[in-house]
Amino acid sequence: MKRVIIIFIAFLFFAFVVEVPIFFTPKKWPKPTYNFLKNPISKEKILLGKILFYDPILSKDNTISCASCHSQYSAFTHIDHALSHGIHDSIGTRNSPALMNLAWQKTFMWDGAINNLDVQALAPISHPSEMGSNINEVIKKINALKKYRQLFKRAFGDSVATGENTLKSISQFLLTIISANAKYDKVMRKEQTFTPQEENGYKLFKKNCSVCHTEPLFTNNEFANNGISLDTKLNDYGKYKISKQSTDSLKFKIPTLRNIEFTFPYMHDGRFKKLSEVLNHYTSSIKASKTLPKELQKPIVLSSNEKVDIIAFLLTLTDKEFIFDKRYSYQNLN
Amino acid sequence: MYHLPNGNTVSIEILKFYISGIELFENSKIIWREKESFHLYSADSSNKTFSLTVPTKFNFDKIKFNLGIDSLTNVSGVMGGDLDPTKGMYWAWQSGYINFKIEGKSNLVSNPKKEFQFHLGGYLQPHYSIQTTTLPITDKSKIDIVFDIVQFLSEIDFSKQNHIMSPSIKALEFSQLAIKCFKVK
Repeated sequence: MKRVIIIFIAFLFFAFVVEVPIFFTPKKWPKPTYNFLKNPISKEKILLGKILFYDPILSKDNTISCASCHSQYSAFTHIDHALSHGIHDSIGTRNSPALMNLAWQKTFMWDGAINNLDVQALAPISHPSEMGSNINEVIKKINALKKYRQLFKRAFGDSVATGENTLKSISQFLLTIISANAKYDKVMRKEQTFTPQEENGYKLFKKNCSVCHTEPLFTNNEFANNGISLDTKLNDYGKYKISKQSTDSLKFKIPTLRNIEFTFPYMHDGRFKKLSEVLNHYTSSIKASKTLPKELQKPIVLSSNEKVDIIAFLLTLTDKEFIFDKRYSYQNLN
Repeated sequence: MYHLPNGNTVSIEILKFYISGIELFENSKIIWREKESFHLYSADSSNKTFSLTVPTKFNFDKIKFNLGIDSLTNVSGVMGGDLDPTKGMYWAWQSGYINFKIEGKSNLVSNPKKEFQFHLGGYLQPHYSIQTTTLPITDKSKIDIVFDIVQFLSEIDFSKQNHIMSPSIKALEFSQLAIKCFKVK
């Protein structure tokens, strides 16, 4: 009798094994920028990366995880916070970006300070207003836990965590966070149709916005000065800080607009709470400066009805399946 | 503790740098190139040397190597071994390797603690700071290459400069000073 029970429990255990997302390239998308040859995808590495993503062990006082500022229900950003929070309630200087489709992103951070997804996590781990730790401290803590020794063994064949393997596994999970199933995508695949309002918004979007927010990723991966005024408290000149070239002054990364319904507030410092404020900025409050691109030299002209139509279109970029995809979520981690 | 000719007294707490891209030449023709050629040199009180093995089957009269990490490696994601970011030679807030790191104290430094830190690196123009040197070899059975720390320290004006922590023109200039200090003994 006893034996039968043991077998039954074993089956239950396997039924709860975490379902791991796998990387894929959606149809008609460009080739990913990420070099998979240097970090071949495996289920075990993705799982390890996911567990690390949700583990506050990455912060100095074990209170902040990646997910603290990148939560799935807001398309992996910090909803409702203009500037993101870190350990000891400290506040950073920028709005945390939404995470999705990272395999197609060339540089990271609002100023492009990070040149490869693999080394991205080093920045928040060591920033004093974010996780306030450093990679050596994190690796020491990871190596002290039996749970991680098993996970590293399964993922890399070696139970000892290194900086390389830890960061590569975080990359693997991040690479699988793909949003390509919004109404927009379904319309493009001819599975659904836009309403007349969305259709008109799409036309206006292509005319006025798509040079920078280029389909299908809704970003051209470049940097631009979008004419928002300098916040003199933050004094953030964007890419200039990294390149020290005056031609980069006030340029920030052009973010994707996918899932924009959930990623408010908007801009690098989160100054706009609503999409209508963003559109009003582009039509009426562009601030001229030397690095303003030619597309914004003349104000964009949109009637209030047209703005409503553009917003209707932008809401078709909402991918609910992505927001609620259990494979990305915290549940069933342990 | 180094007592320099100019009256400066310097103590060094950290000295670490990358040697990469080792090549051997005979009559100006390349005859050997080390694969995955990245070596982190880290000096401490007990160990001031590190050794490299090069094949002896060749005749060679010159050795060439870089001080620092090339730009392609700098943009290729996370690496292991000597290039692992846990080695303390990778910037976190901005991507890129620190090619050369020296920290210590000098009586000429103006801050109260007399401390200096020079973290030299940068993989983007105009501050791409990797440096290359080619040194002549006469006796190939045992090649002693030294880094002349006294020469390096003597060329720095510690009263004007005690802090370099990011890619910059200063980082580039200091890198150019450092490469000249490699010599065959």
